[in-house]
Amino acid sequence: MNDLQEKPEVKKEREAKDDGRYIIFYTFEDEKD
Amino acid sequence: MNQLRWDPTLREWVAYATHRQDRTFLPPAEYCPLCPTRPGGFPTEVPREHYDIVVFENRFPSFTPNAPEPDEGGSVLTPTAPGRGICEVVLYSDDHAATLATMSERRIGNLIEVWADRYEELGASEEVDYVFIFENKGEAIGVTLHHPHGQIYGYPFIPPRPAKELEAAREYRSQNENRCLHCDLLSQEHEDARRILTKGEHFTAFIPFYAHFPFEAHVYSRRCAPSLADLEAAERRDLASVLKRLLGGYDSLFGFSLPYMMVMHQAPTDDENYHGIAHFHIEFYPPNRTADKLKYLAGSETGAGAYIMDVLPERSAETLRGKIESQ
Repeated sequence: MNDLQEKPEVKKEREAKDDGRYIIFYTFEDEKD
Repeated sequence: MNQLRWDPTLREWVAYATHRQDRTFLPPAEYCPLCPTRPGGFPTEVPREHYDIVVFENRFPSFTPNAPEPDEGGSVLTPTAPGRGICEVVLYSDDHAATLATMSERRIGNLIEVWADRYEELGASEEVDYVFIFENKGEAIGVTLHHPHGQIYGYPFIPPRPAKELEAAREYRSQNENRCLHCDLLSQEHEDARRILTKGEHFTAFIPFYAHFPFEAHVYSRRCAPSLADLEAAERRDLASVLKRLLGGYDSLFGFSLPYMMVMHQAPTDDENYHGIAHFHIEFYPPNRTADKLKYLAGSETGAGAYIMDVLPERSAETLRGKIESQ
């Protein structure tokens, strides 16, 4: 659990779909526990 | 085909996106295109087995970055323009049955981080003048997919309702010693207190004095922040907490997951200065006036633009506040 005064740590991964559209995955460190 | 046509009688653009007629409509849960792609299952929009929060370009966009010049040229009176902009889908969770109301405060907080990131990234695009973050929830609102998700439209213009609000705020500021219209409205609500629903350290939820829907709620930043991107970490966390309480109250109102439209009003991204004019806030418009009766936008509302209400905001606020406090 992150400190409430801090922004959560996030991993942002941008990928291309088969039809060329983009998709972005946001994965949060504080969601792992 | 993405095309804009100008309505000179109302002085506003109408967007045409004819390919949207064929979009996926209420598929069974096992064929939800917004769920993760399961091993051996059909490929959904998301090529992973699990995810936290996902954003992708809408397959059926109302606006697209590469929209060509329209075949229909229009006229001087009724010009046309390419429907250039961006439309994104935001998946709140990989749990098909979840709703924003049932999610943890932490997940709502993380979603706010994503919304802020999209506001900044889309707002930096040349073709986007207004980043509009919204959610349509429930079949009563016309949703075509039940999976918990919202949308973001990057409009190539400032849409009429926010434009009208900004114009009112600009005029108020010029006539009232540079005061912010929304700050003064919020002060009035705090002083009156009858329509306050719940307060956090940095945000307040209330039913406005002039509500257009029986259980319409506005969530205002107490600080005059123009956009999500201007909010500090503590403010974003407090917003998550206030939203969680408000949404829990909504679902307690009639004993079912309440349909609503949720929209965010914030500063346009057309490089003008909106400090003291744009004041970040979220508006909720649930259509229900009772458990089994809806508020329709009928003749007066749609044709005349004049809302007729059956219930006073003070009465609705008392009911909803009671539900929020008894959670």
